[in-house]
Amino acid sequence: MKTVLHRLSPFAIALARMLVQATGIVVVVFLLARLVPGDAVDVKGLEGDLTAAQQVALRHELGLDRSVPEQLVAWSWRALKGDFGDSIRFGRPVSGMLGTALPTTLLFAALSFALGLGLALALAVGAVTTGNRVLRELVNLFSVWSIALPTFCVGVIGILVFSVWLGWLPVLGSMNLPVIIIGIDSAGVIVKPLHEELREAATSAHVRTARAKGLAPWRIALRHLLPTAVPVMLALSGLVLTSLVAGTLTMEVLFGLPGVGSLLLNAIHGRDYPVIQAAILVIAVALVVINAATDLLHRLIDPRMTS
Amino acid sequence: MSLALPSEVGGAVRRGLSPRTVIAALVLAAIIALALAAPLITPFDPLDQDLLALNQPPGAEHWLGTDHMGRDVFSRLVMGARTTLVVGFGGALVAFILGAGLGLVALSFGRAAETAMFALIDLVRAMPDVLLALLLIVALGAGAQPVMIALGIAFAPFFAYVARATFHREAVKDYVTAARLFGGGRLHVLRLHIAPNLVGGLITQAAILLPRCVVTESVLSFLGLGSSPDQPTWGRMVADASHYIETSPHAILAPVLAIVALTLSLSMIGDAVRRRLDPLRAADEAAL
Amino acid sequence: MTGPLLSLRNLIVSAGGRRLVDGVSLDIEAGRTLAIIGESGSGKSLTALSLLGLLPEELVVDPATRLTIEGRPLAPRDEHGWRALRGRRIAMVFQDPMACLNPFMRVAAQIDETLRRAGITSPSERRRRIEDGLAEVELPDPAALARRYPHQLSGGQQQRVMIAMALAGEPDLLIADEPTSALDACVQADIVALLARLQTSRRLALLIITHDLAVAAALGHTIAVMQHGRIVEDGPAAQIIAQPRHPYTARLVGSGRLFDAVTASPIPLRHVVATAENVSIDYTARRLFGSTFRAVQDASLFLVARRTVGLLGESGSGKSTLAAALAGLRTPSTGSIRLLGHVIGPGGKPLPNALRRRCQMVFQNPYGALNPRLTIGRALAEPLALAGVPAPARAGRITRGLREVGLDAEHAARYPHQLSGGQRQRACIARALLCDPEVLICDEVISALDMTVKVQILELLKRLQGERGFAMLFVGHDLDAVRWISDEVLVMHRGRIVENCGPEDLNLAQVRDPYTRRLLSARLISPLERLWQEARVERPQSSEVAGAETTPVV
Repeated sequence: MKTVLHRLSPFAIALARMLVQATGIVVVVFLLARLVPGDAVDVKGLEGDLTAAQQVALRHELGLDRSVPEQLVAWSWRALKGDFGDSIRFGRPVSGMLGTALPTTLLFAALSFALGLGLALALAVGAVTTGNRVLRELVNLFSVWSIALPTFCVGVIGILVFSVWLGWLPVLGSMNLPVIIIGIDSAGVIVKPLHEELREAATSAHVRTARAKGLAPWRIALRHLLPTAVPVMLALSGLVLTSLVAGTLTMEVLFGLPGVGSLLLNAIHGRDYPVIQAAILVIAVALVVINAATDLLHRLIDPRMTS
Repeated sequence: MSLALPSEVGGAVRRGLSPRTVIAALVLAAIIALALAAPLITPFDPLDQDLLALNQPPGAEHWLGTDHMGRDVFSRLVMGARTTLVVGFGGALVAFILGAGLGLVALSFGRAAETAMFALIDLVRAMPDVLLALLLIVALGAGAQPVMIALGIAFAPFFAYVARATFHREAVKDYVTAARLFGGGRLHVLRLHIAPNLVGGLITQAAILLPRCVVTESVLSFLGLGSSPDQPTWGRMVADASHYIETSPHAILAPVLAIVALTLSLSMIGDAVRRRLDPLRAADEAAL
Repeated sequence: MTGPLLSLRNLIVSAGGRRLVDGVSLDIEAGRTLAIIGESGSGKSLTALSLLGLLPEELVVDPATRLTIEGRPLAPRDEHGWRALRGRRIAMVFQDPMACLNPFMRVAAQIDETLRRAGITSPSERRRRIEDGLAEVELPDPAALARRYPHQLSGGQQQRVMIAMALAGEPDLLIADEPTSALDACVQADIVALLARLQTSRRLALLIITHDLAVAAALGHTIAVMQHGRIVEDGPAAQIIAQPRHPYTARLVGSGRLFDAVTASPIPLRHVVATAENVSIDYTARRLFGSTFRAVQDASLFLVARRTVGLLGESGSGKSTLAAALAGLRTPSTGSIRLLGHVIGPGGKPLPNALRRRCQMVFQNPYGALNPRLTIGRALAEPLALAGVPAPARAGRITRGLREVGLDAEHAARYPHQLSGGQRQRACIARALLCDPEVLICDEVISALDMTVKVQILELLKRLQGERGFAMLFVGHDLDAVRWISDEVLVMHRGRIVENCGPEDLNLAQVRDPYTRRLLSARLISPLERLWQEARVERPQSSEVAGAETTPVV
């Protein structure tokens, strides 16, 4: 499938891969959610306000008495139209709940993502072009930081220091501290590979040629070094997104931000399966779409990949 | 000439253990020792609630104080080390067996099996590990074993990728072609030429993933999705104490520092292992 | 101009206490060509980089080093001072043009940078100069070519762009570091001829760094020979080649001279061990609607015991694919291969293992052909174990095998990286011979080796063939080596065998195929001799250089 499309435009490849992955994820999420013993009606039944006849009627209404593939198709079709059913706990449409939660999460993730990429790029380019020892050590520090310090631990310490002891920030509801924490964490995920790639590029033949031409250092950095860094960063941004998901979840819970993460966690604790399914699906598919977009961008930027 | 330059310039390669690695290994050994000796050294039952001593600061009786339910923080920390280590390491082990096993089986059955298997694995990788683990826990239920399995499935692809990359890197080598000319079959090539290269890569990958497994475990238990409530874990301790951060910061600092000490030492050891075993680096050293 | 353009005294470059360049002194005169020749690791490229202040940061330059440019001293690490010179006074062309051009910038933009640097402010003037510069290096349709990206050019075109870019700043000195070694034979000759013409027409000072005596002899007014970081001999080109004084130079020149005597052994056809009949081999593209690529088209040959067939061609000509098919590693798409009585055809049965062992291969890169994790002894035990030789009997055979190729029993305990390139190739040959092959296929076996080692390996192969009587297929791109070792030469071009003749007939007087004629005339000396004769009037030392006609490096 992929090989046929290779001859078509890079856009088609990115799109096809995206569709295949998204479809796969829909199936996986749906089937895994079906693994759960008992369905939504059982859960309601446990609350004790449904008769057996009502349960059967409700099952039929929700389509739970049909075969699994049929349910999958029906559910996917409705999901495609933005209809994820109703929340079991609150009885409200899941799409509405997602709609309220999404802006917070999107804003938070976008800010952290931008901060992370910006920090990583600035640090890596700075360390390579200046050869500054402090910057090089910072690259290592950021990297170890993101591997070894879970964001929720940093968050807790942050609350302790800035909110409790110094009293600078409110404990809950503020986005400043979590964005900085996740920004640093995201930067740490990619700064080391980015730095290594840039350092290799700096000793590469075409940068040496640029030096042999007598070009000024800033021009070499801008025209000959950065173009090699951008594709690398795009390739690495997938890693950032992955770590961003974990970070967003924990930060929303810790700092009481009303985003998709909080929604998902509450739903898991309340066994609100339609919400769980929808939230996981939205996050996973969003990631697939963003990854496809960066892949496409990569192909458009690099002249070697278009011809 | 320009190609020969790196080996000319390479200079001294550190052979011995750096002090950093030694300290990390000592910290890890101490944590493992505490976890092993837990029942012998815990002064209190980690689940016992002393309602007369809530949120006690560290002192002679409760070395690290008590939490908001009057439970002894030190005892909970030591018992929590067991859960964290078992689940984190167990998850990595499951991932190792699952990933390397499926990868190798697919590779030994030829191209079609390989394509099919890795399409599936790519699909798993398309979901971030925490999200996938979360979904699996929802499906499998909470508890130490489901978390281990969830971690194993989420991290297995990395091992499969290592197996595939090693296989394809080695399969095109001239010495593998030569082995075919000597009459060697697929098994001979796997055993003599590919397996030795694979071991290093897999161990390196395991060393890199161990801290990530431990971190993911603590994130999951922080989110309340780890092991069952009667098993203290460090992540859950942080979550529990976070609501009482103003009154008893010690109850939160203790598990946070424990997690950081464990993951930091694991990642330093992982880095040392990677330096030692990384196939590319080993090749560079051999060229010297 | 009085005094040398550039004068280097006592250059010492070291890494980790080891001296990579050890007291090199040289002068470069305006309008003259100096060629530095040496094998890999001799320090010649570092010497070149030091003349542009481009030595890698981690290397230490000894403070005793003195460098003057037009009488003005310049410190090796004075980045500011160097930057004023780079591109405008001194320019450089490197080995691998594909890697040296920025893949993200069009050709025009890359040359434009040099022109700006040279202070040409008018955009229309720069555009004119870009096209003129590309025309000067003999590139067709400069306007269209300037708009391309590097990956859209051939290797030869890329190197021409590099030269145009280097010359755009109108430098006095052009340094070319192995400018032809990444290119095919025909292209190599063109680039060398171009450099010679440019040197004359622009009256450039030219510094050529090369491992190839033919290139050095073709271009250099003077030649300096480097070994282990020192200049062991230097002087006028003709003198170096006609009367080498230093033993290393003598060996270098002698390696070339060996190929002078081409003798085909007139052994009658006796025992045909392998044949290829009308073999075509396709690479099926991995995409569904992709066209298949025909690597070998309708090739026929036969191998006879005790005789060597040389298969000559440049990279991509299909010669290695054909060799792999003869070894039974690849089934032909049409036609058939008969190996020791077994027929390999399209969809045919695979070769039985016992038979497969009778046909062995030796590969281009001896490092890649030996598993770095196995000692030489264990590597040599592999074919024995697979042939069912019991473990106790193996050691003796391994020792005998090593001695046969000129290695010692003690080499069995070493790892590949502990051996030199030549020793590794000997070990590979020993390993192949442990199978007692009737056919030995040598795929570019000498091209990764230094000149003096090449000759030793060739002589070894010839001796072993005499002793053991195997049939040999010698695949290579080096015309002289193939001609020297072969009893029959096949020339391959774009998948077809275009010429088939005895080695003594492989000359312009006898050969009719146009590609083979091009290959023969590409051999560096002949066109350059003509060129020098044309340029004799302008070049002050040309009578001396023309003496290089007698050069044995043919």
